[in-house]
Amino acid sequence: MFSLLIKQRFLLLKQFSCRVLDKRKQDLKKIISNTIHYCHPVVRQIFSMAGRRALKAVLIDLSGTLHVEDTAVPGAQDALHCLRQASVSVKFVTNTTKESKRNLLERLQRLNFDLQEKEIFTSLSAARSLLEQKQHRPLLLVEDSALEDFTGIDTSHPNAVVVGLAPDHFNYQTLNRAFRMILDGAPLIAIHKARYYKRKDGLALGPGPFVTGLEYAAECKATVVGKPEKTFFTQALSELGCSPSEAVMIGDDVRDDVGGAQNAGMLGILVRTGKYREGDENKISPPPHLTCDSFPDAVEHILQNLL
Amino acid sequence: MAATGWPGFAKSLKGVILDLCGVLYDSGEGDGVAIPGSIEAVKKLKASDLQLRFCTNETQATREKFVAKLQRLGFDISVSEVFPPAPAAIAVVKQRGLRPHLLVHDGLLQEFDGVDQTNPNCVIIGDAAEHFSYQNLNEAFRVLIGLENPVLFSLGQGRYYKETDGLKLDVGAYMKALEYACDLKAEVIGKPSLTFFQSVLNDMGLKPHETLMIGDDLVNDVGGAQYCGMKGVQVRTGKYRPSDEKHPTVTADGTVDNLAQAVDMILKQRGF
Repeated sequence: MFSLLIKQRFLLLKQFSCRVLDKRKQDLKKIISNTIHYCHPVVRQIFSMAGRRALKAVLIDLSGTLHVEDTAVPGAQDALHCLRQASVSVKFVTNTTKESKRNLLERLQRLNFDLQEKEIFTSLSAARSLLEQKQHRPLLLVEDSALEDFTGIDTSHPNAVVVGLAPDHFNYQTLNRAFRMILDGAPLIAIHKARYYKRKDGLALGPGPFVTGLEYAAECKATVVGKPEKTFFTQALSELGCSPSEAVMIGDDVRDDVGGAQNAGMLGILVRTGKYREGDENKISPPPHLTCDSFPDAVEHILQNLL
Repeated sequence: MAATGWPGFAKSLKGVILDLCGVLYDSGEGDGVAIPGSIEAVKKLKASDLQLRFCTNETQATREKFVAKLQRLGFDISVSEVFPPAPAAIAVVKQRGLRPHLLVHDGLLQEFDGVDQTNPNCVIIGDAAEHFSYQNLNEAFRVLIGLENPVLFSLGQGRYYKETDGLKLDVGAYMKALEYACDLKAEVIGKPSLTFFQSVLNDMGLKPHETLMIGDDLVNDVGGAQYCGMKGVQVRTGKYRPSDEKHPTVTADGTVDNLAQAVDMILKQRGF
Protein backbone atom coordinates (compact mmCIF):
# COMPACT_ATOMS: atom_id res chain seq x y z
CA MET A 1 0.00 0.00 0.00
CA PHE A 2 2.91 2.27 0.77
CA SER A 3 4.40 2.02 -2.70
CA LEU A 4 0.96 2.37 -4.35
CA LEU A 5 0.28 5.63 -2.58
CA ILE A 6 3.74 6.89 -3.54
CA LYS A 7 3.23 5.83 -7.15
CA GLN A 8 -0.11 7.63 -7.24
CA ARG A 9 1.40 10.78 -5.79
CA PHE A 10 4.27 10.87 -8.26
CA LEU A 11 1.93 10.12 -11.16
CA LEU A 12 -0.19 13.06 -10.19
CA LEU A 13 2.81 15.36 -10.08
CA LYS A 14 4.23 14.05 -13.37
CA GLN A 15 0.93 14.60 -15.22
CA PHE A 16 0.84 18.21 -14.18
CA SER A 17 4.48 19.08 -14.58
CA CYS A 18 4.35 18.75 -18.36
CA ARG A 19 1.38 21.03 -18.73
CA VAL A 20 1.56 23.79 -16.14
CA LEU A 21 3.79 26.69 -15.12
CA ASP A 22 6.10 26.45 -12.11
CA LYS A 23 3.68 28.43 -10.00
CA ARG A 24 0.90 25.93 -10.56
CA LYS A 25 3.29 23.16 -9.48
CA GLN A 26 4.01 25.09 -6.28
CA ASP A 27 0.28 25.53 -5.63
CA LEU A 28 -0.30 21.83 -6.07
CA LYS A 29 2.51 20.86 -3.75
CA LYS A 30 1.06 23.23 -1.18
CA ILE A 31 -2.40 21.69 -1.52
CA ILE A 32 -0.99 18.17 -1.13
CA SER A 33 1.12 19.20 1.83
CA ASN A 34 -1.87 20.87 3.54
CA THR A 35 -4.03 17.83 2.84
CA ILE A 36 -1.40 15.59 4.31
CA HIS A 37 -1.43 17.52 7.55
CA TYR A 38 -5.12 16.96 8.01
CA CYS A 39 -4.90 13.24 7.19
CA HIS A 40 -5.02 10.40 9.61
CA PRO A 41 -1.71 10.42 11.49
CA VAL A 42 -0.64 7.10 9.97
CA VAL A 43 -1.22 8.40 6.43
CA ARG A 44 0.57 11.61 7.39
CA GLN A 45 3.56 9.63 8.57
CA ILE A 46 3.70 7.67 5.32
CA PHE A 47 3.65 10.85 3.23
CA SER A 48 6.23 12.60 5.40
CA MET A 49 8.51 9.65 5.00
CA ALA A 50 8.25 9.78 1.20
CA GLY A 51 11.05 11.85 -0.24
CA ARG A 52 13.19 11.37 2.88
CA ARG A 53 16.43 9.53 2.64
CA ALA A 54 17.38 6.67 4.96
CA LEU A 55 17.92 7.66 8.57
CA LYS A 56 21.56 8.25 9.32
CA ALA A 57 21.55 10.19 12.60
CA VAL A 58 19.61 10.63 15.81
CA LEU A 59 20.00 13.80 17.84
CA ILE A 60 19.03 13.35 21.47
CA ASP A 61 18.24 16.07 24.00
CA LEU A 62 19.64 15.47 27.47
CA SER A 63 17.85 17.24 30.36
CA GLY A 64 14.23 16.13 30.45
CA THR A 65 14.69 13.45 27.80
CA LEU A 66 17.39 11.08 29.06
CA HIS A 67 17.32 12.31 32.65
CA VAL A 68 15.71 14.80 35.01
CA GLU A 69 18.40 16.30 37.27
CA ASP A 70 20.13 13.26 38.85
CA THR A 71 17.53 10.66 37.94
CA ALA A 72 17.63 8.75 34.66
CA VAL A 73 14.38 8.28 32.71
CA PRO A 74 13.44 4.61 33.33
CA GLY A 75 14.72 2.31 30.59
CA ALA A 76 16.64 5.07 28.84
CA GLN A 77 20.08 3.46 29.27
CA ASP A 78 18.94 0.20 27.63
CA ALA A 79 17.11 2.07 24.89
CA LEU A 80 20.27 4.02 24.05
CA HIS A 81 22.22 0.77 23.97
CA CYS A 82 19.66 -0.69 21.48
CA LEU A 83 19.87 2.42 19.33
CA ARG A 84 23.63 2.12 19.14
CA GLN A 85 23.29 -1.43 17.70
CA ALA A 86 21.51 0.07 14.69
CA SER A 87 23.49 1.71 11.90
CA VAL A 88 22.87 5.31 12.92
CA SER A 89 25.12 7.99 14.41
CA VAL A 90 24.08 9.46 17.70
CA LYS A 91 24.74 12.95 19.02
CA PHE A 92 23.64 14.51 22.28
CA VAL A 93 22.53 18.09 21.80
CA THR A 94 21.71 20.30 24.69
CA ASN A 95 20.90 23.89 25.59
CA THR A 96 22.02 23.17 29.12
CA THR A 97 24.22 26.12 29.99
CA LYS A 98 24.84 25.47 33.64
CA GLU A 99 27.38 22.77 33.02
CA SER A 100 30.50 22.26 30.94
CA LYS A 101 30.78 19.27 28.56
CA ARG A 102 32.92 17.50 31.13
CA ASN A 103 30.30 17.93 33.88
CA LEU A 104 27.55 16.69 31.58
CA LEU A 105 29.59 13.63 30.63
CA GLU A 106 30.37 12.79 34.26
CA ARG A 107 26.72 13.07 35.30
CA LEU A 108 25.49 10.90 32.43
CA GLN A 109 28.16 8.28 33.04
CA ARG A 110 27.21 8.21 36.73
CA LEU A 111 23.67 7.39 35.55
CA ASN A 112 25.10 4.49 33.49
CA PHE A 113 24.66 6.07 30.07
CA ASP A 114 27.19 4.97 27.50
CA LEU A 115 28.58 8.03 25.68
CA GLN A 116 31.75 9.99 24.93
CA GLU A 117 32.55 13.69 25.34
CA LYS A 118 32.94 14.20 21.61
CA GLU A 119 29.33 13.10 21.08
CA ILE A 120 28.07 16.04 23.10
CA PHE A 121 27.25 19.29 21.30
CA THR A 122 26.11 22.18 23.47
CA SER A 123 24.90 25.70 22.90
CA LEU A 124 27.93 26.81 24.93
CA SER A 125 30.15 25.39 22.18
CA ALA A 126 28.05 27.25 19.63
CA ALA A 127 28.40 30.49 21.64
CA ARG A 128 32.14 30.15 22.02
CA SER A 129 32.68 29.73 18.31
CA LEU A 130 30.62 32.88 17.64
CA LEU A 131 32.68 34.89 20.16
CA GLU A 132 35.91 33.71 18.56
CA GLN A 133 34.63 34.45 15.09
CA LYS A 134 33.62 38.05 15.97
CA GLN A 135 36.48 38.59 18.44
CA HIS A 136 34.11 39.83 21.16
CA ARG A 137 35.17 40.23 24.78
CA PRO A 138 32.15 38.98 26.69
CA LEU A 139 30.45 39.79 29.98
CA LEU A 140 29.56 36.18 30.71
CA LEU A 141 26.25 35.80 32.53
CA VAL A 142 26.68 32.06 32.82
CA GLU A 143 26.96 29.69 35.77
CA ASP A 144 30.47 29.31 37.22
CA SER A 145 30.38 25.64 36.30
CA ALA A 146 29.98 26.56 32.62
CA LEU A 147 32.86 29.04 32.53
CA GLU A 148 35.30 26.24 31.82
CA ASP A 149 33.95 26.01 28.24
CA PHE A 150 35.09 29.61 27.72
CA THR A 151 38.68 29.27 28.94
CA GLY A 152 41.00 31.25 26.79
CA ILE A 153 38.44 33.90 25.82
CA ASP A 154 39.48 37.42 26.85
CA THR A 155 36.86 38.87 29.25
CA SER A 156 38.63 42.11 30.18
CA HIS A 157 36.84 45.39 29.27
CA PRO A 158 33.84 43.45 27.96
CA ASN A 159 32.14 44.70 24.80
CA ALA A 160 29.48 42.02 24.42
CA VAL A 161 26.90 40.47 26.72
CA VAL A 162 26.44 36.68 26.77
CA VAL A 163 23.39 35.38 28.61
CA GLY A 164 23.04 31.74 29.62
CA LEU A 165 21.09 30.10 32.42
CA ALA A 166 22.51 31.87 35.42
CA PRO A 167 20.03 32.45 38.26
CA ASP A 168 22.83 33.92 40.40
CA HIS A 169 23.45 36.62 37.79
CA PHE A 170 19.80 37.41 37.07
CA ASN A 171 19.64 39.96 39.84
CA TYR A 172 18.73 43.61 39.45
CA GLN A 173 22.29 44.98 39.66
CA THR A 174 23.84 42.62 37.12
CA LEU A 175 20.97 42.97 34.66
CA ASN A 176 21.24 46.75 34.91
CA ARG A 177 24.94 46.52 34.11
CA ALA A 178 24.21 44.34 31.09
CA PHE A 179 21.41 46.71 30.01
CA ARG A 180 23.69 49.77 30.11
CA MET A 181 26.37 47.95 28.09
CA ILE A 182 23.83 47.03 25.43
CA LEU A 183 22.52 50.63 25.29
CA ASP A 184 26.10 51.66 24.65
CA GLY A 185 26.29 49.32 21.68
CA ALA A 186 27.39 45.93 23.05
CA PRO A 187 25.79 43.03 21.14
CA LEU A 188 23.50 40.73 23.13
CA ILE A 189 24.19 37.04 22.60
CA ALA A 190 21.76 34.49 24.01
CA ILE A 191 23.01 30.98 24.46
CA HIS A 192 19.39 30.00 24.12
CA LYS A 193 15.96 31.43 24.92
CA ALA A 194 14.29 28.59 26.80
CA ARG A 195 11.24 29.91 28.65
CA TYR A 196 11.58 27.59 31.61
CA TYR A 197 12.99 24.22 32.64
CA LYS A 198 12.15 21.50 35.12
CA ARG A 199 13.97 21.46 38.45
CA LYS A 200 13.52 19.04 41.34
CA ASP A 201 11.40 21.68 43.11
CA GLY A 202 9.25 22.57 40.12
CA LEU A 203 9.43 24.74 37.01
CA ALA A 204 12.01 27.53 36.93
CA LEU A 205 12.59 30.51 34.63
CA GLY A 206 15.12 29.93 31.84
CA PRO A 207 17.29 32.61 30.23
CA GLY A 208 14.66 33.39 27.57
CA PRO A 209 12.54 35.71 29.73
CA PHE A 210 15.60 37.74 30.80
CA VAL A 211 16.90 38.02 27.24
CA THR A 212 13.43 39.18 26.15
CA GLY A 213 13.37 41.78 28.93
CA LEU A 214 16.77 43.14 27.86
CA GLU A 215 15.72 43.16 24.19
CA TYR A 216 12.64 45.21 25.11
CA ALA A 217 14.48 47.63 27.40
CA ALA A 218 17.37 48.26 25.01
CA GLU A 219 15.30 47.94 21.82
CA CYS A 220 17.64 45.40 20.32
CA LYS A 221 17.51 41.84 19.03
CA ALA A 222 19.64 39.14 20.60
CA THR A 223 21.67 36.72 18.50
CA VAL A 224 20.54 33.30 19.65
CA VAL A 225 22.99 30.43 19.19
CA GLY A 226 21.20 27.51 20.82
CA LYS A 227 18.06 25.50 20.03
CA PRO A 228 15.74 26.14 18.26
CA GLU A 229 17.99 28.10 15.86
CA LYS A 230 18.43 26.26 12.54
CA THR A 231 22.22 26.74 12.55
CA PHE A 232 22.48 24.90 15.88
CA PHE A 233 21.00 21.74 14.32
CA THR A 234 22.83 22.02 11.01
CA GLN A 235 26.12 22.62 12.87
CA ALA A 236 25.54 19.52 15.01
CA LEU A 237 24.68 17.41 11.94
CA SER A 238 27.53 18.67 9.79
CA GLU A 239 29.93 17.15 12.34
CA LEU A 240 28.23 13.80 11.52
CA GLY A 241 28.37 14.39 7.78
CA CYS A 242 24.64 14.08 7.19
CA SER A 243 21.81 16.36 6.11
CA PRO A 244 18.64 17.22 8.11
CA SER A 245 16.50 14.96 5.90
CA GLU A 246 18.54 12.02 7.14
CA ALA A 247 18.09 12.81 10.82
CA VAL A 248 15.57 12.72 13.65
CA MET A 249 15.53 14.72 16.93
CA ILE A 250 14.14 13.42 20.24
CA GLY A 251 13.32 15.97 22.96
CA ASP A 252 10.92 17.17 25.68
CA ASP A 253 10.67 20.82 24.61
CA VAL A 254 8.07 21.07 21.86
CA ARG A 255 9.31 24.42 20.54
CA ASP A 256 13.04 24.30 21.10
CA ASP A 257 13.69 20.60 20.39
CA VAL A 258 10.95 19.37 18.06
CA GLY A 259 9.85 22.63 16.40
CA GLY A 260 13.43 23.75 15.88
CA ALA A 261 14.54 20.40 14.43
CA GLN A 262 11.54 20.15 12.07
CA ASN A 263 12.12 23.71 10.96
CA ALA A 264 15.66 22.68 10.03
CA GLY A 265 14.29 19.80 7.92
CA MET A 266 14.56 16.97 10.44
CA LEU A 267 11.84 14.74 11.89
CA GLY A 268 10.92 15.54 15.49
CA ILE A 269 9.79 13.18 18.26
CA LEU A 270 8.28 14.75 21.38
CA VAL A 271 8.57 12.83 24.67
CA ARG A 272 6.19 13.31 27.58
CA THR A 273 8.92 13.62 30.20
CA GLY A 274 10.82 16.55 31.67
CA LYS A 275 9.19 19.89 30.95
CA TYR A 276 6.47 18.42 28.71
CA ARG A 277 2.98 19.70 29.57
CA GLU A 278 -0.36 18.33 28.41
CA GLY A 279 -1.26 19.74 25.02
CA ASP A 280 2.27 20.81 24.04
CA GLU A 281 1.99 18.80 20.80
CA ASN A 282 -0.68 21.25 19.61
CA LYS A 283 1.54 24.27 20.03
CA ILE A 284 3.62 23.87 16.88
CA SER A 285 2.69 23.60 13.24
CA PRO A 286 3.32 21.14 11.69
CA PRO A 287 2.87 19.00 14.81
CA PRO A 288 5.56 16.56 15.95
CA HIS A 289 6.16 13.58 13.68
CA LEU A 290 5.44 11.54 16.82
CA THR A 291 4.52 12.21 20.44
CA CYS A 292 5.28 9.33 22.81
CA ASP A 293 5.65 8.65 26.49
CA SER A 294 9.43 8.63 26.83
CA PHE A 295 12.80 8.04 25.22
CA PRO A 296 12.55 4.19 25.12
CA ASP A 297 9.26 4.51 23.15
CA ALA A 298 10.90 6.95 20.75
CA VAL A 299 13.76 4.53 20.14
CA GLU A 300 11.32 1.65 19.56
CA HIS A 301 9.50 3.76 16.98
CA ILE A 302 12.76 4.59 15.20
CA LEU A 303 13.93 0.98 15.13
CA GLN A 304 10.57 -0.28 13.86
CA ASN A 305 9.59 2.44 11.43
CA LEU A 306 12.41 4.74 10.39
CA LEU A 307 15.32 2.48 9.53
CA MET B 1 -8.45 79.28 13.60
CA ALA B 2 -6.74 78.07 16.79
CA ALA B 3 -3.04 77.21 16.49
CA THR B 4 -2.36 73.48 16.54
CA GLY B 5 1.44 73.57 16.72
CA TRP B 6 3.67 74.09 19.72
CA PRO B 7 3.69 76.42 21.48
CA GLY B 8 0.77 78.14 19.75
CA PHE B 9 -1.84 75.64 20.94
CA ALA B 10 -1.03 76.62 24.55
CA LYS B 11 -3.46 79.53 24.09
CA SER B 12 -6.44 77.16 23.97
CA LEU B 13 -5.38 74.80 26.76
CA LYS B 14 -7.48 74.37 29.89
CA GLY B 15 -5.33 71.84 31.75
CA VAL B 16 -1.84 70.40 32.07
CA ILE B 17 -0.82 66.94 33.27
CA LEU B 18 2.74 66.50 34.48
CA ASP B 19 4.79 63.35 34.81
CA LEU B 20 6.78 63.26 38.07
CA CYS B 21 10.05 61.32 37.78
CA GLY B 22 12.28 62.89 35.14
CA VAL B 23 10.19 66.07 34.94
CA LEU B 24 9.94 67.36 38.51
CA TYR B 25 12.83 65.40 39.98
CA ASP B 26 15.37 62.63 39.43
CA SER B 27 15.04 59.75 41.88
CA GLY B 28 18.07 58.28 43.59
CA GLU B 29 19.59 58.05 47.00
CA GLY B 30 17.41 59.50 49.74
CA ASP B 31 14.70 61.72 48.33
CA GLY B 32 16.45 62.23 45.01
CA VAL B 33 17.12 65.65 43.51
CA ALA B 34 14.72 68.30 42.19
CA ILE B 35 15.40 69.17 38.55
CA PRO B 36 16.53 72.81 38.35
CA GLY B 37 13.62 75.18 37.70
CA SER B 38 10.88 72.59 38.26
CA ILE B 39 9.77 73.75 41.72
CA GLU B 40 9.25 77.27 40.40
CA ALA B 41 7.56 75.96 37.25
CA VAL B 42 4.95 74.05 39.28
CA LYS B 43 4.28 77.18 41.38
CA LYS B 44 3.72 79.24 38.24
CA LEU B 45 1.30 76.67 36.80
CA LYS B 46 -0.70 76.60 40.01
CA ALA B 47 -0.89 80.37 40.03
CA SER B 48 -2.24 80.37 36.46
CA ASP B 49 -5.77 79.64 35.31
CA LEU B 50 -4.80 76.17 34.09
CA GLN B 51 -5.93 73.01 35.88
CA LEU B 52 -3.04 70.87 37.04
CA ARG B 53 -2.68 67.14 37.78
CA PHE B 54 0.25 64.76 38.16
CA CYS B 55 0.16 61.42 36.38
CA THR B 56 2.87 58.98 37.31
CA ASN B 57 3.84 55.33 36.98
CA GLU B 58 5.66 55.61 40.31
CA THR B 59 5.25 52.28 42.12
CA GLN B 60 8.11 52.13 44.59
CA ALA B 61 6.09 53.78 47.36
CA THR B 62 2.54 54.62 48.39
CA ARG B 63 1.02 57.85 47.12
CA GLU B 64 1.24 59.42 50.57
CA LYS B 65 4.95 58.55 50.90
CA PHE B 66 6.15 59.88 47.60
CA VAL B 67 4.03 63.04 47.78
CA ALA B 68 5.61 63.67 51.20
CA LYS B 69 9.03 63.18 49.56
CA LEU B 70 8.22 65.72 46.85
CA GLN B 71 6.97 68.18 49.45
CA ARG B 72 10.27 67.76 51.30
CA LEU B 73 12.06 68.61 48.08
CA GLY B 74 10.07 71.85 47.97
CA PHE B 75 7.22 71.05 45.59
CA ASP B 76 3.73 72.40 46.09
CA ILE B 77 1.80 69.17 45.54
CA SER B 78 -0.95 67.22 47.33
CA VAL B 79 -2.15 63.61 47.30
CA SER B 80 -5.49 64.34 45.63
CA GLU B 81 -3.69 65.81 42.59
CA VAL B 82 -1.58 62.71 41.99
CA PHE B 83 -2.59 59.68 39.88
CA PRO B 84 -0.36 56.62 40.26
CA PRO B 85 -1.25 53.11 38.99
CA ALA B 86 -1.66 51.18 42.26
CA PRO B 87 -5.06 52.62 43.30
CA ALA B 88 -6.31 52.01 39.76
CA ALA B 89 -5.07 48.40 39.90
CA ILE B 90 -6.77 47.82 43.24
CA ALA B 91 -10.04 49.05 41.79
CA VAL B 92 -9.67 46.68 38.84
CA VAL B 93 -8.94 43.53 40.88
CA LYS B 94 -11.78 44.29 43.30
CA GLN B 95 -14.18 44.84 40.42
CA ARG B 96 -13.17 41.55 38.75
CA GLY B 97 -13.06 39.50 41.96
CA LEU B 98 -9.34 38.76 41.58
CA ARG B 99 -6.84 38.00 44.34
CA PRO B 100 -3.32 39.16 43.44
CA HIS B 101 0.13 37.76 44.06
CA LEU B 102 2.23 40.90 44.40
CA LEU B 103 5.68 41.42 42.89
CA VAL B 104 6.10 45.03 43.93
CA HIS B 105 8.47 47.19 45.95
CA ASP B 106 8.18 46.76 49.72
CA GLY B 107 7.31 50.44 49.93
CA LEU B 108 4.09 49.86 47.95
CA LEU B 109 2.74 46.88 49.92
CA GLN B 110 0.81 49.09 52.34
CA GLU B 111 -1.30 50.39 49.45
CA PHE B 112 -2.68 46.85 49.12
CA ASP B 113 -3.84 46.46 52.75
CA GLY B 114 -7.44 45.47 52.53
CA VAL B 115 -6.97 43.55 49.27
CA ASP B 116 -7.50 39.80 49.61
CA GLN B 117 -4.19 38.15 48.63
CA THR B 118 -4.93 34.60 49.74
CA ASN B 119 -4.91 31.82 47.14
CA PRO B 120 -3.89 34.24 44.36
CA ASN B 121 -5.46 33.98 40.91
CA CYS B 122 -3.53 36.77 39.25
CA VAL B 123 -0.20 38.58 39.52
CA ILE B 124 0.45 42.32 39.88
CA ILE B 125 3.94 43.47 38.97
CA GLY B 126 5.26 46.95 39.76
CA ASP B 127 8.67 48.61 39.85
CA ALA B 128 10.17 46.28 42.44
CA ALA B 129 13.79 47.40 41.78
CA GLU B 130 16.14 45.28 43.95
CA HIS B 131 13.22 43.00 44.72
CA PHE B 132 13.35 41.81 41.11
CA SER B 133 15.43 38.88 42.26
CA TYR B 134 15.41 35.58 40.36
CA GLN B 135 13.61 33.97 43.28
CA ASN B 136 10.82 36.56 43.42
CA LEU B 137 10.33 36.47 39.66
CA ASN B 138 10.25 32.71 39.76
CA GLU B 139 7.55 32.78 42.42
CA ALA B 140 5.40 35.09 40.30
CA PHE B 141 6.05 32.89 37.26
CA ARG B 142 4.96 29.77 39.17
CA VAL B 143 1.69 31.42 40.21
CA LEU B 144 0.92 32.30 36.59
CA ILE B 145 1.98 29.00 35.02
CA GLY B 146 -0.19 27.14 37.53
CA LEU B 147 -3.37 29.05 36.63
CA GLU B 148 -5.80 27.87 33.98
CA ASN B 149 -6.53 31.49 33.03
CA PRO B 150 -3.41 33.41 34.00
CA VAL B 151 -3.81 37.19 34.37
CA LEU B 152 -0.83 39.51 34.71
CA PHE B 153 -1.28 43.18 35.55
CA SER B 154 1.70 45.42 34.97
CA LEU B 155 1.78 48.81 36.68
CA GLY B 156 3.17 50.61 33.66
CA GLN B 157 5.34 49.20 30.89
CA GLY B 158 8.35 51.56 30.93
CA ARG B 159 11.61 50.23 29.56
CA TYR B 160 13.91 52.09 31.92
CA TYR B 161 14.18 55.25 33.98
CA LYS B 162 16.94 57.52 35.17
CA GLU B 163 18.22 57.63 38.70
CA THR B 164 21.03 59.82 39.96
CA ASP B 165 23.48 56.96 39.48
CA GLY B 166 22.45 55.99 35.96
CA LEU B 167 19.73 54.25 33.95
CA LYS B 168 17.84 51.37 35.53
CA LEU B 169 15.53 48.71 34.13
CA ASP B 170 11.85 49.51 34.65
CA VAL B 171 8.84 47.26 35.20
CA GLY B 172 8.28 46.84 31.43
CA ALA B 173 11.40 44.70 31.04
CA TYR B 174 10.18 42.31 33.72
CA MET B 175 6.64 42.38 32.35
CA LYS B 176 8.03 41.23 28.99
CA ALA B 177 10.06 38.53 30.77
CA LEU B 178 6.94 37.05 32.39
CA GLU B 179 4.90 37.47 29.18
CA TYR B 180 7.51 35.44 27.32
CA ALA B 181 7.85 32.80 30.03
CA CYS B 182 4.10 32.20 30.26
CA ASP B 183 3.17 33.00 26.67
CA LEU B 184 0.56 35.56 27.67
CA LYS B 185 -0.09 39.29 27.31
CA ALA B 186 -0.07 41.53 30.36
CA GLU B 187 -2.75 44.15 31.02
CA VAL B 188 -1.07 47.48 31.57
CA ILE B 189 -2.48 49.69 34.30
CA GLY B 190 -0.96 53.15 34.29
CA LYS B 191 0.57 55.13 31.42
CA PRO B 192 0.11 54.69 28.49
CA SER B 193 -3.25 52.97 29.04
CA LEU B 194 -6.16 54.94 27.60
CA THR B 195 -8.42 54.28 30.60
CA PHE B 196 -5.71 55.55 32.91
CA PHE B 197 -5.38 58.90 31.15
CA GLN B 198 -9.17 59.08 30.86
CA SER B 199 -9.56 58.74 34.63
CA VAL B 200 -7.32 61.79 35.11
CA LEU B 201 -9.22 63.80 32.52
CA ASN B 202 -12.50 62.83 34.17
CA ASP B 203 -11.19 64.11 37.46
CA MET B 204 -10.28 67.42 35.78
CA GLY B 205 -13.60 67.56 33.94
CA LEU B 206 -11.72 68.29 30.70
CA LYS B 207 -11.65 66.93 27.15
CA PRO B 208 -8.42 65.50 25.71
CA HIS B 209 -7.95 68.30 23.17
CA GLU B 210 -7.97 70.87 25.96
CA THR B 211 -5.17 69.16 27.86
CA LEU B 212 -1.39 68.92 27.51
CA MET B 213 0.82 66.12 28.93
CA ILE B 214 4.45 66.93 29.68
CA GLY B 215 6.79 63.98 30.25
CA ASP B 216 10.28 62.55 29.74
CA ASP B 217 9.17 59.17 28.36
CA LEU B 218 8.41 59.61 24.67
CA VAL B 219 6.33 56.47 24.23
CA ASN B 220 4.49 56.17 27.54
CA ASP B 221 3.99 59.86 28.41
CA VAL B 222 3.86 61.65 25.06
CA GLY B 223 2.72 58.78 22.83
CA GLY B 224 0.14 57.59 25.34
CA ALA B 225 -1.29 61.10 25.74
CA GLN B 226 -1.45 61.67 21.98
CA TYR B 227 -3.23 58.33 21.51
CA CYS B 228 -5.81 59.64 23.95
CA GLY B 229 -6.30 62.85 21.94
CA MET B 230 -4.15 65.12 24.10
CA LYS B 231 -1.08 67.07 23.06
CA GLY B 232 2.25 65.74 24.31
CA VAL B 233 5.51 67.60 24.92
CA GLN B 234 8.79 65.90 25.82
CA VAL B 235 11.42 67.35 28.16
CA ARG B 236 15.12 66.71 27.65
CA THR B 237 15.58 65.68 31.28
CA GLY B 238 15.14 62.32 33.00
CA LYS B 239 15.23 59.34 30.67
CA TYR B 240 15.23 61.45 27.49
CA ARG B 241 17.76 60.33 24.87
CA PRO B 242 18.64 62.27 21.67
CA SER B 243 17.45 59.32 19.58
CA ASP B 244 13.91 60.04 20.89
CA GLU B 245 13.75 63.00 18.48
CA LYS B 246 14.04 60.56 15.56
CA HIS B 247 11.64 57.93 16.89
CA PRO B 248 9.99 55.78 14.21
CA THR B 249 6.45 55.94 15.60
CA VAL B 250 6.06 58.79 18.08
CA THR B 251 6.69 62.47 17.30
CA ALA B 252 6.26 64.83 20.22
CA ASP B 253 4.19 67.95 19.58
CA GLY B 254 7.12 69.84 21.07
CA THR B 255 10.49 69.16 22.70
CA VAL B 256 11.87 71.46 25.37
CA ASP B 257 14.96 71.50 27.56
CA ASN B 258 13.06 71.14 30.82
CA LEU B 259 9.78 71.80 32.61
CA ALA B 260 10.78 75.38 33.42
CA GLN B 261 11.17 76.20 29.72
CA ALA B 262 7.88 74.47 28.86
CA VAL B 263 5.94 76.45 31.45
CA ASP B 264 7.51 79.77 30.44
CA MET B 265 6.56 79.13 26.81
CA ILE B 266 3.00 78.14 27.76
CA LEU B 267 2.42 81.19 29.96
CA LYS B 268 3.92 83.52 27.34
CA GLN B 269 1.41 82.22 24.77
CA ARG B 270 -1.38 82.91 27.26
CA GLY B 271 -0.19 86.49 27.78
CA PHE B 272 1.61 86.16 31.12
